[in-house]
Amino acid sequence: MRLGASTAEAIANVFEMFVPGAVERGEVSVLPDGATPFTNLPLHGVAASVSYVDGVTGANVLVMNPDGARVLAQAMGVPAPDEHTPELSELELSAVGEAANQSLAAAAAAISVVLGQEVEISPPDTRVLDDPDGAAELYGKASHAISTTFVIAGEPCRLIQLVPSAFVVRMARAIDEMAVEPPAGGDAAGAAGAELGAGGAADGGVLSLDDALRDINLRVWAELGRTRLALGQALELPVGAVVDLDRSADAPVDLFVNGLCFGHGHLLVTDDGEWAIRVDALTGPASRHGVTVATPMQ
Amino acid sequence: MARVLVVDDAAFMRKLLGDALVSGGHEVVGEAGNGAEAVVRYQELRPELTTLDITMPEKDGLSALAEIMAIDPAARVVMCSALGQEGKVLEAVRLGARDFVVKPFQPARVLEAVGKALA
Repeated sequence: MRLGASTAEAIANVFEMFVPGAVERGEVSVLPDGATPFTNLPLHGVAASVSYVDGVTGANVLVMNPDGARVLAQAMGVPAPDEHTPELSELELSAVGEAANQSLAAAAAAISVVLGQEVEISPPDTRVLDDPDGAAELYGKASHAISTTFVIAGEPCRLIQLVPSAFVVRMARAIDEMAVEPPAGGDAAGAAGAELGAGGAADGGVLSLDDALRDINLRVWAELGRTRLALGQALELPVGAVVDLDRSADAPVDLFVNGLCFGHGHLLVTDDGEWAIRVDALTGPASRHGVTVATPMQ
Repeated sequence: MARVLVVDDAAFMRKLLGDALVSGGHEVVGEAGNGAEAVVRYQELRPELTTLDITMPEKDGLSALAEIMAIDPAARVVMCSALGQEGKVLEAVRLGARDFVVKPFQPARVLEAVGKALA
């Protein structure tokens, strides 16, 4: 479930770049064993398929109706046809394939972070579904299937993920390894991430995309400062080199959650001798002041 | 202003890149839809600059880059990669790429990268 949700979220974020403010997240459904995910596909709809080909295997098929494909293509810069013609042009189909390619590359990058290994994707295969009933045969089967709905610029869109068991097992193991210790007496927020691959993908059911993502473990880090180096300088840095950063020692540090700057604060040393941050300000939507976050430093 | 070879498996991306390059006064002298075709077209056309996608059928952009650099060690190549392929970009720079552009991109970013590569 959460694997599907996190992939869908990465995809939605890329679509936001093409149609800002016009991407609505829908529901994530884990299909029961044996059920085919390729039902009720739109006649003459567009299907763009991108597979994971190295690191893990699995397939992702993005399906939208012809109007949705045309809206997306135009948002990406393809000119509108002179007259309304139901058939999509080669350029429109290519744009939809490229949208799938770019969004699945982002999803693969997110999976690479969890697995600690590069996950590669195939070039997209984009086609018009003149025989939607043949899609199941076309795209094959996997142990698990996840269906996620979106609305893009008012048009429905569906992402179907075919997830082999080996992928689920590897993700579960990786998340187990990166999970933090659960807080004493609390419910195991850290261990919950393990459900992403193990029970989560196999237990069936439907959740909103927001709810499906709520107990995913995220990487949290603090940033002391930054600088820029030419690639040549970085490659030639000797051991013992001193690299100046852009901030004074007493300036606030930035708190990052999964790459997003989430707040600012000051460094503390806990009673256990570990670094922590006293959060002075949060930039995220659920701001709470006076929070202390223990975090590995980067 | 340069003679440019545009390589991407998506016709849409080739058009987007071509439009950006032409708007900057460059000339698109050829296109290729995969890495194998890119190497052949490079040998034929000897462009002053090549834009190269990474994920492509038949031969990917990194393999094509290695072959182009072997043919012409002075080749000026700018990689075009999707978000999240930074690891491959670093490999491309090690292989000799001059710069990279992350998709989705603004035309100004393409022209900036091309300008740096030609400098």
